[in-house]
Amino acid sequence: MKQRITYVVQNPEEFSPEQLVVNNEGDFGPSFTLKGVHAAKEHRITLSLDELPKELSKVFQQWHELHIRWASPKPYTATPPFTSRVSPGLHVFFTPLDTTPENALCETLRSFVPGDLTNDERPKCSSTNDTSIKLPILSERFSMSASSQYYAYLESLNYFIGRFRESFCRKRMQCYENLRQFSSALYIDIDYDTISRTVVLTAGWPRATGAIEDGWDETITLPSEDATVEIGVLSHEPNSDPEDIQFGGFLTVLGQDERPKATRFQTPTRHYPLLQSSSTATLNPHPLTFTTSFNQPTGLHPTLTLTFPSQHLTPPNPSCKLHTHLTLPSALFIDAYQFSDALFLASKNLKSLRSLAGATDLEAPNWVVQQWGSAALFQLALPPLHHASSNTQGTWNSSIPLHLRYLPASAASHTSVPVPWPVVFWACRAEEGAKQSSNPFDRMHLGYEGLFGPKTRFMHVEPSGASGHIEGAKSDGLVEWIEVPVLDTRWSGWVEGGTVGMVVLAFLGLCWVLFGKTDGRREVEREKKKQ
Amino acid sequence: MAFSSFFRNPSLVFSASILLRAVFLLYGLWQDANSPMKYTDIDYYVFTDAARYISRGQSPYARDTYRYTPLLAWLIYPTVWPGGFWFSFGKILFAVGDVAAGWMMFRILKEYRKMGDERALKFASIWLLNPMVATISTRGSSEGLLGVFVTALLWAALAKQIPLTGFLLGFAVHFKIYPFIYAASIIWWLDDTRTGSKKHTRLALAIYSLLTFIGLNIAMYAIYGWPFLEHSYFYHMIRIDHRHNFSPYNTLLYLKSSPKPTGLEPTAPSLELERLAFLPQLLLSAVFIPLALAKKDLPSTMLAQTFAFVTFNKVCTSQYFLWYMMFLPYYLPDSTLLQSPSIGITAIIFWIVGQVAWLQQGFQLEFNGYSTFVPGLWASSILFFLVNAGILGVIIHDTKTKTKKTENRST
Repeated sequence: MKQRITYVVQNPEEFSPEQLVVNNEGDFGPSFTLKGVHAAKEHRITLSLDELPKELSKVFQQWHELHIRWASPKPYTATPPFTSRVSPGLHVFFTPLDTTPENALCETLRSFVPGDLTNDERPKCSSTNDTSIKLPILSERFSMSASSQYYAYLESLNYFIGRFRESFCRKRMQCYENLRQFSSALYIDIDYDTISRTVVLTAGWPRATGAIEDGWDETITLPSEDATVEIGVLSHEPNSDPEDIQFGGFLTVLGQDERPKATRFQTPTRHYPLLQSSSTATLNPHPLTFTTSFNQPTGLHPTLTLTFPSQHLTPPNPSCKLHTHLTLPSALFIDAYQFSDALFLASKNLKSLRSLAGATDLEAPNWVVQQWGSAALFQLALPPLHHASSNTQGTWNSSIPLHLRYLPASAASHTSVPVPWPVVFWACRAEEGAKQSSNPFDRMHLGYEGLFGPKTRFMHVEPSGASGHIEGAKSDGLVEWIEVPVLDTRWSGWVEGGTVGMVVLAFLGLCWVLFGKTDGRREVEREKKKQ
Repeated sequence: MAFSSFFRNPSLVFSASILLRAVFLLYGLWQDANSPMKYTDIDYYVFTDAARYISRGQSPYARDTYRYTPLLAWLIYPTVWPGGFWFSFGKILFAVGDVAAGWMMFRILKEYRKMGDERALKFASIWLLNPMVATISTRGSSEGLLGVFVTALLWAALAKQIPLTGFLLGFAVHFKIYPFIYAASIIWWLDDTRTGSKKHTRLALAIYSLLTFIGLNIAMYAIYGWPFLEHSYFYHMIRIDHRHNFSPYNTLLYLKSSPKPTGLEPTAPSLELERLAFLPQLLLSAVFIPLALAKKDLPSTMLAQTFAFVTFNKVCTSQYFLWYMMFLPYYLPDSTLLQSPSIGITAIIFWIVGQVAWLQQGFQLEFNGYSTFVPGLWASSILFFLVNAGILGVIIHDTKTKTKKTENRST
């Protein structure tokens, strides 16, 4: 078992090496202590298959590759290099083997979601093939992407962590402790592939848990004698190479190093931080953010609107194009044919629908759709230059018209459907594309990189935490809830009898007019009155 | 009076009807070029996309929601040629079809209703100068094209052109299925012919229409295979029609196709009466109405059949109104609806009230997101259904008593 714990200090000026203490002579073995370090943290655990309990190892071995991405709907500010994002919820990207059983995906999901997956209230899952969607892949030759995608909106991973603890920890305190920490992470990645035969578990915290002013106060110990734990405390530094990011700080291999060792390195990066361009000496995040909202009332054709401050909406580099990647549960769908008209696109401040995969049937009700939903990539239009300069306080809206499927009748007038905020990023040309994977913090399998060529870097636009500004809209962090009108079964008791009765009445009345004795006009009038 | 002299001159009326369509067509081009809201019907993009697939040697069914015979895509093949004019070819064709249908109505009214030019033109104008008809065809909906086939079918039948009638019937059924209901009325009506070889006439009609229908289907199946049958026929049988529309069955179909919430006690087994919805519809439109009325008056019988088919259908949208509108010019002249203004005006007011009530509820659902399925939308669709049934009752009654009236008049 290998562990890598990285802290990236948010404000290097406030940090001093005295906040780090290495103690190799403690009662519980070597330890590393942080005192009030304000930092983003990433904890990565690498396990080989034989280090896992048999039943768990079997779960992974069913797949050619499996990449699970979970993100919390809680808003946060990202710290480089941890700037990449996925829409809140549980994403599963995978490539099955020829031997992968048809129920493998749903079985895997059962460890994440309590209860019965066939129930309509739950995330959909009928079989691996029917429920997942195929990922369109632009660059087949270079692609390392998984072939299929599954998604379900999931607010927390507590159920999964609980199940994992029961089956895996077996009274090892360190394991309990790690998992307890993981339950407060805002994103978790699990990666497995047949070539490396290792499972990599990565959890991320954008800032210290607990009170804001406290920072990280924790002690890391060696879980077992043969374990490796490497701890880095780094800070992001300016770098002149436009495609590299640079970090300086301290690395400590627990049990080997007497004290934190100074380090400095630079690396090309797939997810390049979006920084304010004015100052090169200090690294300030770019003020461009976005919010997601739905135009009210949503009706049966909700319009998702992305709002940006227009004065900051200028490409960080001439090659950069602004994109948004949507993950839509099957209750909503996109009508691709709408987006072929240039006038229509322009009126919505969109450039094009670059890609659409998954459930795109324009007529099917939700209960007929077996796929979990669909994923779409749009290129967004930018405000004209004079607009940006003259309208310094204004906002720029891009809207994406969606359509609702009919949802099952229920004992309420409306059913709530979660729509996770999309991710928004500048996709820019990268000369050093091939070297990006050498970055120790590289993150892949997010659902959209495969839609771009290999020489692409992504500069993510941060979602603004302050949402729910539209009155009447229910909002819960980085997820919007849509109220979908449904047939209210509390009122529908007499629909069957009423319909059949009226049809039979009209039918008999008409038969009477057809075959009854004719008696001039009076009969018609009587017939009409009867109707 | 200028107004009456207008209707005395066929070339004026036809010019006006062509002008009306030309104006709508040009306005549509302007709106499409200048507004993100398109004048052109969504279906027209489906047809033209399908034609484009055909031009690349692919199947028209490669286009989602193309549920028509491949002949339609072939008919508008020129829309794939470059340029805005050719893209509008289909709309022009549909509009020309409209005017041609109106011209045939005019001829039928003169020949078989013994009307003078003025009266015939006035009633043909229900179709020719109807803005709804002109809008539907210039927006590029294929329902407009149906008018020319069905009116030609009626004319051929009235003229006793048996091979042509058979061919048109087979073609119309291949094109849109529902005209099969006219087979019963035409065959029953032919029985009324005084010629001795009536058996042969009916048999000939059956053979010609079946040969055409089967021949077209075999040809299309040979070229386009299973997707042709699946999309142009089977789809219409298995579709759920759960989305809100004017049909009285609509709410019931949504309720019945929707999965039951799990975890509840299983409710009493439903009778699934909605599965029998085709029974009153087909009994009325394809059996009872032809049997009772065809021999009295073929055009009015066809109107009653179509009206019954649309009223009792499991799905109903405003384009379906066009199906019966094309028969109104033959029925209205002697109808109670015109003879007795109180009944006529009451009927039209009730019809409009039914429409408005439904549209208001539909708007509240579609755009404001209110759950109006029950009782609002259901009640207004039932109201609309009953109003239509009442009007159908009047049409049936008028047609049934027709012989008596015409006899009275002739004595």
